[in-house]
Amino acid sequence: MSTVSLPPRTKPAVGREPAGGRLGGRRSPSGRADVAVRALGVLALTGIVATCWLGLFVTPEAVNFGNLVRLLYIHPPMAWVAFLAYGFALATSLLYLWPRTRDPRLDRLAGASAEVGVVFTGLTLVTGSIWGRTTWGVWWTWDPLLTTTALLFVLYVGYLALRRVPGDRETVAKRAAIAAVIAFVDVPIVYFSVSWWRSLHQAPTVDLAGRHLYVHGLMAWTLLLGFASFSLAWAWLMVHRYRLATLRDREADEGLEVAIAERRAEGLP
Amino acid sequence: MSYVDAGYCVVLGSLFAYAVSLVARERAARRRLPPAPDEAEQSAS
Repeated sequence: MSTVSLPPRTKPAVGREPAGGRLGGRRSPSGRADVAVRALGVLALTGIVATCWLGLFVTPEAVNFGNLVRLLYIHPPMAWVAFLAYGFALATSLLYLWPRTRDPRLDRLAGASAEVGVVFTGLTLVTGSIWGRTTWGVWWTWDPLLTTTALLFVLYVGYLALRRVPGDRETVAKRAAIAAVIAFVDVPIVYFSVSWWRSLHQAPTVDLAGRHLYVHGLMAWTLLLGFASFSLAWAWLMVHRYRLATLRDREADEGLEVAIAERRAEGLP
Repeated sequence: MSYVDAGYCVVLGSLFAYAVSLVARERAARRRLPPAPDEAEQSAS
């Protein structure tokens, strides 16, 4: 068994200052980025706490829905963030597919955004199911909006599974990008399903096409704060998921380098 | 617990658990790797 000389492993930088630290009295680019990400996290957390406080304790009950209207401050923002995440995954995937802007970072961003989107779609389905149980009397019904949202969830779970199918990195990225474009077709179908078909679900609270908001006053501000806060949370989660993907790619590259070095060493007399 | 409380608990609990898992996995991955060039530069300075 031959021995291979590997670069010495120094103590990891996480938990110490380097990631967000100073270089000669000035913050390095990665340090500044780290501070920005932390600020984003604090902002998102503050916004979510404020949304929950306003939604649960300050806003009034609705005439028709009573106390249940409080679910309104989290359910539409979950759906909005899922759309935002899939839209971002679509944009980065299209950029990846265009040869002039092909970059592995775009592929990682698409994967990160889609994964966060799946989490938010799952939460949309759960909060929607709770709403359905109390207003329609059932946890689930094969309503067009619910069905197309469930399909959206399955499509993007499939997209994430496709990313894990082995292959060389470029091939995996290319087929994932194509899958992201195909899966996104369901997003406008979900949004317009309540207008296109007879649905149990009420029309969207925020009508983007007609530029109309169906709630007013403090209720509207709380809802808008929910949209903003959960969007910031999406950005924060996506940055961390992107960093994790970058580290895993680096890990895979280094593992490959070690394997090549070992094979070369085995061939030496 | 009302349905409303359950909805908020599910959303906040899931997002918190996902965020913690991401940060923990990121830290574990960094621990397994040597520092990136700019981090090594900072360690040296």
